[in-house]
Formats: sequence, C-alpha cells, structure tokens
Amino acid sequence: MKFVRRHLLTAYAIFAFAYLLVPIAVVIMFSFNDPGGRYNFTWQGFTLDQWKNWDGVPALKDAMILSLEIALLASVVATVLGTLIALALVRYGFRGRGATNLLIFVPMATPEVVLAAALLTLFLNVTVFTLGFGTILIAHIMFCISYVVVTVKARLIGFDRSLEEAAKDLGATPFETFRLVTLPLIMPGIFGGAMLAFALSIDDFVISNFNSGTTVTFPLYIFGAAQRGIPVEVNVIAMILFGVTVAAMGFVTWQQARAERMASVRPEQEVAPSQALPAGASA
Amino acid sequence: MTDMLTREELLRRAGFGAAMLSIPGLAAACGGGGGGGSASSGTQKLADTLRFSNWPLYIDVNEKTKTHPTLDAFTKKTGVKVDYVEDINSNSEYFGKIQGPLSRGQSIHKDLIVLTDNERFLALMIDRGWVEELDKDAIPNISNLVDVQKHPGFDPDRKYSLPWQSGMTGIAYNPKVTKPILSIDQLFEDKSLKGQMTALNGFGDTLGLVMLANGDDPSKITDASFKSAIDRVKEASDSGQIRQFTGNDYAGPLSKGDLKACIAWSGDIVQLLPDNPDLKWVIPKDGGIIWTDNMIIPKGGDVFTASTYMNYAYTPAVAAKIAAYIQYVTPVKGTKEVLAKTDPALAGNELIFPTDATLEKVHLIDPEALNNQSYAEQWAAVLGA
Amino acid sequence: MGFFHRHRGLTPYLLLLPGLAWLAVFFLVPLGFLAYQSLQSGTFDVGYAFDWAWGNYWDALQRYHPWLVRSLVYAAIATLLALVISYPLAYWIAFRGGRWKNVLLVMIIAPFFVTYLIRTLAWQTILADQGPVVSLLRDVGILGANGRVLATSTAVVAGITYNFLPFMALPLYVALEAIDHRLIEAAEDLYASKLQAFLRVTLPLSMPGVVAGTLLTFIPATGDFINAQLLGTPKQAMIGNVIQSKFFNLLDYPGAAALSFTLMAAVLILIAIYARAIGTEKLTG
Repeated sequence: MKFVRRHLLTAYAIFAFAYLLVPIAVVIMFSFNDPGGRYNFTWQGFTLDQWKNWDGVPALKDAMILSLEIALLASVVATVLGTLIALALVRYGFRGRGATNLLIFVPMATPEVVLAAALLTLFLNVTVFTLGFGTILIAHIMFCISYVVVTVKARLIGFDRSLEEAAKDLGATPFETFRLVTLPLIMPGIFGGAMLAFALSIDDFVISNFNSGTTVTFPLYIFGAAQRGIPVEVNVIAMILFGVTVAAMGFVTWQQARAERMASVRPEQEVAPSQALPAGASA
Repeated sequence: MTDMLTREELLRRAGFGAAMLSIPGLAAACGGGGGGGSASSGTQKLADTLRFSNWPLYIDVNEKTKTHPTLDAFTKKTGVKVDYVEDINSNSEYFGKIQGPLSRGQSIHKDLIVLTDNERFLALMIDRGWVEELDKDAIPNISNLVDVQKHPGFDPDRKYSLPWQSGMTGIAYNPKVTKPILSIDQLFEDKSLKGQMTALNGFGDTLGLVMLANGDDPSKITDASFKSAIDRVKEASDSGQIRQFTGNDYAGPLSKGDLKACIAWSGDIVQLLPDNPDLKWVIPKDGGIIWTDNMIIPKGGDVFTASTYMNYAYTPAVAAKIAAYIQYVTPVKGTKEVLAKTDPALAGNELIFPTDATLEKVHLIDPEALNNQSYAEQWAAVLGA
Repeated sequence: MGFFHRHRGLTPYLLLLPGLAWLAVFFLVPLGFLAYQSLQSGTFDVGYAFDWAWGNYWDALQRYHPWLVRSLVYAAIATLLALVISYPLAYWIAFRGGRWKNVLLVMIIAPFFVTYLIRTLAWQTILADQGPVVSLLRDVGILGANGRVLATSTAVVAGITYNFLPFMALPLYVALEAIDHRLIEAAEDLYASKLQAFLRVTLPLSMPGVVAGTLLTFIPATGDFINAQLLGTPKQAMIGNVIQSKFFNLLDYPGAAALSFTLMAAVLILIAIYARAIGTEKLTG
C-alpha cells in the first residue's frame, strides 16, 4: 500500500510534467519536418536540414538573442526590486501598506493592450525615450515586479525568524545576518520569482509590440511570420534555447554537487553558517 | 481556375528565381527599364536610407543568401540603403501602434509602409492627413499601373498611395473531405459543413462575399444591403455553421482536415499547395472580392526617396521578380510578359495573373462603409465582442 | 552598519523605494493617462475631449457585464484546474526533487520558450478533430459522434489553464519547499497517518503558496483574450476580446479604457473578498 501511495505521487507528477511538455514534444517533432511550402502544419518527412542550418533565418536568430537579453536583464532587475519590496511588506509595519499591496496587484489586473498603449503615450510624450531595446526593457521590468513580489512573499511568510535571532545573538551584524542566513533561506523564493519574470518577459507580445519601435523580439517575429508561414527554423531555435537553458541549469547543479562532495572530503574545515542550519532548510 | 503547384514546380520556380538573379546583366536591365529613376528631378536629394515596413514574406528573397535581390539592386542603382523590416502583421494592430505618434504630430520614422484597402485604416490614414503626397515627378512608371487600380475610392487621383500587390478573397475547400463548394449559398447552407467551416474576421471580406451572394453590390453598401448580409452571417454563426471567425489561422485546420471549407485568401492557398496539393481555391459563383495592399508614405517620411523606390518597383522587370516570389497579383502592367519569357507556367497561373474574365468576377469593397462606425460596431457584435 | 541601525524606521521605505519608484513612473503615470482617457468622449473622426464622461463606465458595466462575468468564471475555473494539476507537481519537486529541483523548475517554464502562438498551434495539432486524441475521446464516448474539442469553451479554459500553470506551480513550490520536514516527522511520530500529516501540517503551511499562486493565476487570466480568440467561437469571447476590439477595430479608446478599469475594479473587489475570507495574514504575513 505504501508502495502504491509513494509512487502515486511520482506517477501524478510525471503525468503533470507530461501534460506540461507535450506541446514541446510536438514542437521538437515538427522541427524535423520537411515541408514543401512555407507552412509547417502537416508532417511531410524527416530531415535534419533545419538543424544543420539552424541560423539560416538571420532575423529569427537576432530576434531570439534580443529576447534572451531582455529577459535576462528584466528578470534580474525585477527580481532585485521585487525582493526588496517583498521584504519590506512582510517584515515591517509602515504607513501605506495597504496602498503598496494595491499597487502590486493592479498591474497584474490591467489588461495588456491598454497598459501597452498608455505606456507608449508616456514614451512618446517624454522624448528622452526612443522606442527600442530600452523601452521594451523598462516595460518588462515594470510588469514583472508584481509577480516577483507575490512569489517571494510566499516564501517570506512563515519564515522562521528565530534563525535570524540566533545569528544576531552570535554576533552577526544585520547585513551579515541577511547575507548569510536570510538570503540563502529565501533563495528558492527568489529563484522562483526570477523564473517567473524570465518566462513572462520572453513570452511577452502585446506590450512589446507597442513599445518596440522597429526592434523585433522573438514573439513579435513569430506573430509576424505566422501570417505567411512560420519557418521550421523557429522550432529548431526554440528547442536549442530550451535545451541550452536546461543543460546550463543542470551543469550548475552538477557543479554544486561536486563542490559539496569536495567540501565534505575535508571534515576538519570550518563549516559555514548556512550549512550549520537544520536539514529542513535547504537553499 | 486553380493551379495545382506540385512541389517540384514550386522548387523549380524558386530555382528559376535564383537563376534569374544570378544573371549579371539583370541589374543593368532594371536600371534601363524605368525612365528617370534617380535624382533627375533636379534639386531633389535622395536620403541615405529608405525605411520600409512591410508584411512578412511580401518581397522577393534569395533563399540561399537570405537577402532581398530587388532591394539590393535598388541600393546598387541609387546608392540608397534599404532598412527593410517585416513588422506589419495586421492592419488594425499596426494602426493601433502608429496612431499614437501620428496623432501627436510625431513621425514614426518610416518612409514607406504597406496597408490593405479592405479595412478602414488605409482610408483613415489618408483622411487624417497622416500621409505625405507622392512625388509623381519621380514616378514616371506610374503609367504602368493597371487601369482597374487607377481611381480607387479612398484615393481617387492616386495622390497618396500606390498598390503593392493585390489578392483575392474566395472559398477554399478540401476535396478529400467534401464535395466542391462553389458558392456562398452552399457554404452557408450545406449542413454537411456545419461546424467545419470558417469565415474571415474582416467584414470587408466576409460581408463583401455575402452581399454578392445576396445580389447586392459590395462597392456601394447601403444600410439595407448591410443588414441583410450581417443578419445572414449572424444566423450562420449562431447555428454553429460557422465554426470560428479567423484571420489567416484557417490555414492550419484546413490542411489538417478540421475544416472542410472556408472563406480564404488566394495567396495563402498557393502557399499551402506544396504540402496539400488537393486543396482548391475558387471565386464564388456570385463573385469574389479583390483587395490591394498599398504603399503609402507616412507623415515625416522622405517623399523623394520613397517615390523613387515606388518608381523602381513599378518597372516590369522588378515587378516580375517580386511577383515570382510572393505569388500574389501584381498591379504592374507588363509583368506577365516579362515572366512569360522565363517562367511561362507562372505567367499562366490564374491566381497570380488573373485573366480579364476572372477580374470581371471580383469586386472592390466600399471604402466609406468600412469607416462607418455603426457598421463596425455591428460587425464587432457578430464577432462576439 | 551604523547608518541602518540608527535609521531603523527608514529601512522599510528604503527597501520599497527603488521598486515603487519604478512602478510609480512606468505604471502609475500611464494608468493616470488611461484614467483621463476613460473619461473622454468623442469618436476617432471628430476627436476626443475630456468631459467627465462617466457614461463610459455605466455603458461598460451595463452592456458588457455578461462578458465580465464570463471572464471571471473562466479565470476561476482555470485557476482551480491549475491548482489541482500544479499542487502535486510542486509537492513532488519540493519534497522529492533533491538537488535537481532547479532543473525541474526550469522545465516547468519550458513552454514559455516557444512563445504562446507556437504552444497553441501545437495544441491545435494534438487536439485536431481528425487527430488521435479526439478520435479516442469519441470512441470512448466522452465526446459525441461529431464532437470536437477545439473551438469550444472547454478549449478556451484548457488553454488558459495550460498557459498559466507555471504561475501556479512556482509559488506553490516556493512555499512547499520552505516547510521544515521535521514538523511532518513529528506529526507522524505522534501517530498521524501520512494523509493526516499532509492535511494537518503540510497543507496549512503551504497556504501562502496557494494564495500566491491563486492570485498570480486568476488576476491576469481575467484579462486574457488570445485563448478565446484562437480557441473559441464568438460565444466564448471574454472581456479582453471586447477591449481589443474597441481599441483596434472600433477605435473607441475611452470605451476601452473605461472597460479596463471596470475589469480591474471587479478583480480587486474579488481579491478583497478573498483576502477577508482566508484571513489577511496569509496575504501579507
């Protein structure tokens, strides 16, 4: 019975992952398609041509690189700004808490098209902004902040403050406490928020469309190309991107594992405070 | 009526295109073809760059080098670089974007953009004064414009616009899953199509065809003709006959067999044929709609440079290269003859070079009706919003 | 650091400053302009003028409340489905993921790398009328003989659910991951069954994540338009589609703005009720 129960969860999780990734499987499959025309709807035959020639559509590659750059920058900045706000909201009482909470929720509730148009109006009226990379980045950071705040808050609520107290009792300054105790403990929340911000930014179409001037991001390219036929290279590039990201993440994890193994080889070394914390708190 | 392009033929044509472009003398021939292209209008100066926004896959492309041969030849001839961006994918969305700066008197930093005449936006741009007048002195090749395009309703003297390419709206069907659907009456009434046919979400297209089926004239819409057309569409939608109102996203379901028939654009079907050679596109029995994408110069654009390019594009040799690739209907006289020498099959394709008989059967949509707010609202209600 | 020690009261404000400043400039200012626009009247042809046109709001509520309700219902169903699908997934990653948690998280957002349009095209391929999945559903009897999945409200809600899964899964993971396993062990030591331990310990402790995920999914889903546009018929149109139509096709900018604020107000009222129901400490800590 325990066997079934234990593996029921795993089975469910695998099913959920499969559901999540089944369109990805279709995208991968069609990246090997060999269509005669410009559309990539029906399976015609297997070919590796597009994989060999993956950067064959120059505008596509540029658009993807641009989207990546914007997403990386936007998620980093939004995560920093959002984490700070989350810390303030959960840890401190201050005047204007309610208003701040409201300010965090309203951007998520605002329909994209009117937000995009209103933002464009701002950029047009304040001529220091020229539409392009900068304006897209600004807009992305703006709408990602809320999502980071809510995600990090979920981690901060219920955070065991006694660990911080213990650190302070042991002589750590507030900064050190934050850096060595708090931050590692809330890191999963920060990472989760960053992931969400990255996903939002790389997939954004409406707001980017309005505020991009003539710059073309990946979703903009796709929506445009869809009018006349999405080239197969799109599937290839998307898969490369996904594969590279997962591989990068996997590599980092593997390196961490190695580092921990190496650290454990020399037990007489002083253990850093974060590793002295109980097993339930993982970073 | 419909030309079945096998995959071989399509590749052969692409090969022909590439072969044509590698002939060295061709660039020189282009230069000699049109009269007075460059700075012959005396004191006018060409800009360094022509900023050109267009729809995707709407200009010739050399598949190997990923460049646009006609644009490169233009640069070689005039010294003007072309900053070509394919960022227009919907008239309404592009207009929604550019009306911000234009309504404030700001430039959108474009010299040439392309909008379609079967939606209100092209006429609006002209009405609002958001376009520059063409420099006709720089466009002697305007005489190559086909007669039927010389006096459109939204720009009777062609002061602001010139056609880029035209296309036709008709019925597409998949003969593997349905008998031939040759009229709007059949499309809307045949119960075997229920839930497996779509209409286009532009009322210029869908209502235009329905009006023709009702015996009304889409180029002169009245409240009565509008009402009978829209009532008919609404009924078909409510009953589930019409599955959805689409943009060009009918292409996928049609190829997969989810749709038996739909209202469709001619050029899309040409693109689907290599993978689905059975698909058919027809002009409905009561008539089809012809629409045209027009080049306009938005306010703030460089008139002389843009006009020079327009003149270049109206050289039959250049128009031939563009038409060979994008395979929509060209507005430039003499193109067919040029192509007939190098690619007779393409020159004979009815969808690309419609005969006069075909052209008799397609109609323009009334541009004033497109801008009628009450009509627009009624149509929006049918679409669900 | 002495500065922060001496100015302790300032700390929250300093923490808030950069983020809120960014939002103030790049969100509040545009929002203000939008509010101004929502009170204008006129048409595109004659121009718009500000004249306290509260009629726009009345019109929005009166004419479009069916779309509003439909959007709220679709978003609520999608949120619930997302919760049901994501909770076990997030639980598994948090408790069984081991050192590969981060890799698994990246895989959760994988669908976003291929952009919305391609994801939807892939689903349209999978759920094609003539495809294996729908044929199976017909054979098994879940669908009628001529049934289809695409172009129905089921497809629209499924599309919304799918596209917002990461928004539910990530906050859930974040909260679940924080739970001290010793608490669960303690419960089991005290003779609780695995199920009881879950219901009495894990579930309550994960509530901040549930709340966060619910908000991050429901709120943006109400304004969604693209799923209804591609996967639905006119009968499934949501308020987002109306706003799109008003903005792009009818050129009714004041109407679109007023409708947007009406939606936002409805959503915020619902959040306020939700917060009261679950207790605000789950919302704000």
